[in-house]
Amino acid sequence: MNALLIAQNTFREAVRDRVLAGILIGGLVLMALTRVGSVLAMGEDLRLTVDLGLSSISLLGLLVILLVGTSLVAKEIERKTIFNLLSRPLPRPVYLIGKWAGLTGALALVALVLGTALALLVTALGSPQHIPAIAQATYLAVLELSLLTSLAVLFSALSTPVLSALYTLGMFLAGQWCDDLRRLAVKLPAGAREVLATIADVLPNLPLFNMRSLAAAGDVTGLAHLGLATGYAVLYCACALALASAAFESRDFK
Amino acid sequence: MNPDRTTHQLLAIVRELRPDTDQSGGLPGEGAPAIEVRGLTKTYRHPWTLRETAGLCDVSFDVRRGEVFGYLGPNGAGKTTTLKILTGLLKPTSGQARLMGRDIQLVESRRPLGFLPEQPYFYDYLNGPEYLEMVARLSGLGAREARAAAIRWFGRVGLGDRPRLVLRKFSKGMLQRLGLAAALVHDPALLILDEPMSGLDPFGRRDVRDLILEQRERGVTVMLSSHILPDVEALCDRVAIVLRGRLERIATVGELVAGEAPRVELRLAGQPMLEWPARFAGEMDRTRSGGDTVLTLHDAALMQELLGWLVSQRIEVRSVTPVRSTLEELFMAAAEGAAIQAVIPAESRRRSA
Repeated sequence: MNALLIAQNTFREAVRDRVLAGILIGGLVLMALTRVGSVLAMGEDLRLTVDLGLSSISLLGLLVILLVGTSLVAKEIERKTIFNLLSRPLPRPVYLIGKWAGLTGALALVALVLGTALALLVTALGSPQHIPAIAQATYLAVLELSLLTSLAVLFSALSTPVLSALYTLGMFLAGQWCDDLRRLAVKLPAGAREVLATIADVLPNLPLFNMRSLAAAGDVTGLAHLGLATGYAVLYCACALALASAAFESRDFK
Repeated sequence: MNPDRTTHQLLAIVRELRPDTDQSGGLPGEGAPAIEVRGLTKTYRHPWTLRETAGLCDVSFDVRRGEVFGYLGPNGAGKTTTLKILTGLLKPTSGQARLMGRDIQLVESRRPLGFLPEQPYFYDYLNGPEYLEMVARLSGLGAREARAAAIRWFGRVGLGDRPRLVLRKFSKGMLQRLGLAAALVHDPALLILDEPMSGLDPFGRRDVRDLILEQRERGVTVMLSSHILPDVEALCDRVAIVLRGRLERIATVGELVAGEAPRVELRLAGQPMLEWPARFAGEMDRTRSGGDTVLTLHDAALMQELLGWLVSQRIEVRSVTPVRSTLEELFMAAAEGAAIQAVIPAESRRRSA
């Protein structure tokens, strides 16, 4: 119940923040601009529109996480607003879960608005058959963003906003290459192979949430993929938040 | 006016006014302590040098249910550290504490608690009732109940005419009032207030004083730290003085004052030329004020004797006033004493080296 209250408050904070409104407007403008770029796409304009539209959901979501999410907890500590919350019967892990859920909710709203705008655009272009694929890709983007938010909460609970932004960005970039790391690990000698494979396993497997190329072609993915991605995201978020809670539990607020 | 008669009347008044030295008695409604602190210690370790700094050293005290307890000390003495440990914001290095019988390690210990941090900060994007409703619900009130309490307390602290104003537009005094409302919104049984008068104008201070007294009337236990000692003196049943992380003294305000040698001020008509008996030498100061002579007698035990002597000399005594040391004077004396004690061992160490 208290997690819901914190989530509601975090959602309200994010929605009332000008950053979110700016990014949302920017996303809509970007989507409209894909029509200009599609002139150069030589018949692949729909594919380009869908691909860029879905990419903008992920990248703008990441931008929200870097600008808002990475200071989610650190800003509360810095500005001492956390004193009024943690001096109440609110367990610290519940507070962190609430912060994560609130920002994930705000990101889901951004993804929903941009995904709907993209669906309307492809319908206007005469290809409504792309809508199921766009819906799936948007859902996976939300899962990816929720996972990155859990990492942002973890880093924000332990570090300064700037450092947690750098760590989160680093995890995002490294997560994109975790398949490549796994392939590289196989070619390495024993010892180094296990180390690299472990690193690849610990990094978030972000390619799992990427079905942009598939959606650009109008193809949908299977329920097994969606289920696996959902399970993976839930598990990864739970681990990241458990780690954050363990570190946050003993923290002093001077 | 017959000087003898006036003096005898004044003597009778003085007997009535003599401070009651038996003020250390228990408070009504004594029971299990609202706050129990046992050997609370907090040391801070520098993350790079690993050097330890003591924030609080082996502090123990009880706050009885229903009393207003003042926690005094200069900046850096350990007041806020204690309050933050009690409210779960800092973890003690060692020692134990209980709020209303519950160990502070338990989250539930904070359910009956209302806490006002020093210089409270709030969410800029919320308005006052929204914020109060949120914190009321966090403290266990249901949605409807929390909304009603939020509106009631927002008005109660004098902010009711601006329900839609976002908190970033609040003045410092308004934020302090909101902080107090946030501490009270769920009708807590225990209030911990860190500098509740800070940032308030005289009207705001009076309102806060009234609010604290009202809570005491309701049976709420209040622990407060403040630099505004006249307010502490007016509000508190007992006072603890903490210096350099150590609890130096804990007593009722009456005990603190009674422990001091009482002084008496006598105002004599005109400026009589007198040869003072030797037994009074060194026991009093003489000053002139508005054509009168003012004697400050440092030892009240000599007052009857002095008055008798003045009557025998046919001196008109206009007034006799017992003078109590203020809490501020006592606090300053205790702080200076502790500072001297801290210097002496350092000096002796240097000499022995």
